[in-house]
Amino acid sequence: MTMTDAHLSAEAINQANRPSAAEIASRRKVIEVDSLDWSFGPRQVLFDINLDVREGEIMVIMGGSGSGKTTLLRHLVGLMPPMPGKIKLLGKDMGALSRMQLLELKRRIGVAFQFGALFSSMSVSENVKLPLRELTDLEERTMDIMANMKLEVCNLSGFGHLMPSDLSGGMMKRASIARAIVMDPKLIFLDEPSSGLDPVVSSALDDLILKLRDAMDISVVVVSHDVESAYKIADRITILDKGQILISDRVDAVRNSTNERVQNLLHRRSEQAEIDPTEYLRRLAGD
Amino acid sequence: MANPAKIFESIGKRTVAGLDEMGYAAAIFFEAIYWTLAGWRYRQPVRVSATFAAMMQFGVAALPIATLLAATIGLMLAIQSLYSLSIFGAQSYAYFGIAFAVVREFSPMIMGILIAGRSGSAIAARLATMSINQEVDALQVMGINPVRFLVSPVLIALVIVVPCLAMWANLVSLTAAGLYVSAELNQSFGAYVNDTIEVLQTGDVWQGIGKAALFGIIIALVGVVNGSTVQGGAEGVGKVTTRSVVMSISLIIVADMIFGFMTTQ
Repeated sequence: MTMTDAHLSAEAINQANRPSAAEIASRRKVIEVDSLDWSFGPRQVLFDINLDVREGEIMVIMGGSGSGKTTLLRHLVGLMPPMPGKIKLLGKDMGALSRMQLLELKRRIGVAFQFGALFSSMSVSENVKLPLRELTDLEERTMDIMANMKLEVCNLSGFGHLMPSDLSGGMMKRASIARAIVMDPKLIFLDEPSSGLDPVVSSALDDLILKLRDAMDISVVVVSHDVESAYKIADRITILDKGQILISDRVDAVRNSTNERVQNLLHRRSEQAEIDPTEYLRRLAGD
Repeated sequence: MANPAKIFESIGKRTVAGLDEMGYAAAIFFEAIYWTLAGWRYRQPVRVSATFAAMMQFGVAALPIATLLAATIGLMLAIQSLYSLSIFGAQSYAYFGIAFAVVREFSPMIMGILIAGRSGSAIAARLATMSINQEVDALQVMGINPVRFLVSPVLIALVIVVPCLAMWANLVSLTAAGLYVSAELNQSFGAYVNDTIEVLQTGDVWQGIGKAALFGIIIALVGVVNGSTVQGGAEGVGKVTTRSVVMSISLIIVADMIFGFMTTQ
């Protein structure tokens, strides 16, 4: 069986396991984004974003570079304030929470960053144990056991003593995921999990995401530009373009969308923008 | 010819940026104090182990170079005092100037400058690298307050360590100066020690310690503010590190002057 065949069959398996639209709609919302706008100075990055993610669902947010997906993720994980607009995570309005309530909420979510964001001065095991050490009163032995369990789930058993600089790209991402799930969150966010990885490692990471969802019954939000990976793991896909949601629907619906910009993104076709010569000259002159 | 409007605009922008930075430093300072005092309420106390580790790094590890500098400063002061007082034939009063200069000025300032160069740069570089690698973001999303985790231990450590080093520098400088003066004037070292103790008041020592604690706060805040506002990659880290050292040393000297003026009026 070739790699592509294996990938397709894994995709088919996940497709078969995907919940129906009615089933998804019946589940509780773990993320609700309501009329979110965001600007960096004069440049508006997000326009009227409305989005929801349901319990146990894998939502992949896709879009080209500069489409606003990373900004949206930063809002979702509480690194940027939802103003104007409203974001509810696990039923809590993030803008209305006290400092204490926000800290409590953050204990129930996990985030794996694009480049891992592991602490370079700590070993992999210490990195995974950090949330336990800082946010709980567990004994060292218990923390060791919990960290080892998560490392094993992420296929990093036996690598806990290594420093982050000793890890490969794929291992770094898996270590970051192990840290994200160590507090047994109800919701995890993964930023570009497959970027910079070869297809085999990327596919293994997709399998890990599916395994985590099924084993831990968590909701997963993945920000990615990897179309193949999205088809394989997503229950629903949201496509952002120039700060707006083009479509947010089940994988089949997105694949069969008649929207030209959606198809351009899915098939990696460049868009030929019409250039106004006067505007172009004005831009060059900096007016 | 430069456009005056542009010059004023540039001055205005820099002033606003400077005020913004000062406000940010003040916010960080009060937040660090808040978390130090109230961290337990959020089940996030400032870790004693992290504070001790910072004290080891900033203080104990700096002892050899601090000792060398302090001894050199003491000897230098003794040499210059004896030379200048010999013009009036008053070498036997050298201990007067040496004692005041060391305890009130040189020990805290030299230790402040040493720690600014040695540890202020390390604080800025560490935070800048962590910011670029999204490690600070990672702390925030885990629900770990970055100020409590990264700033409070450093601030507490420096407020303790710089005065301790200044006290150590007092001892070393005065001893080195005393040995030189005793040898030059053919008097006993014990007599020099008695004279020095007689001339120094407790207030002189406290002034030095107070200054050193203030310098510790300056070093911590300048390092943290520069490190956390880094822009760009490795080049940005280099820039904020240099800026942090230059800014810390400048502020230490200005603060020393202001502190000295206020406590001698």
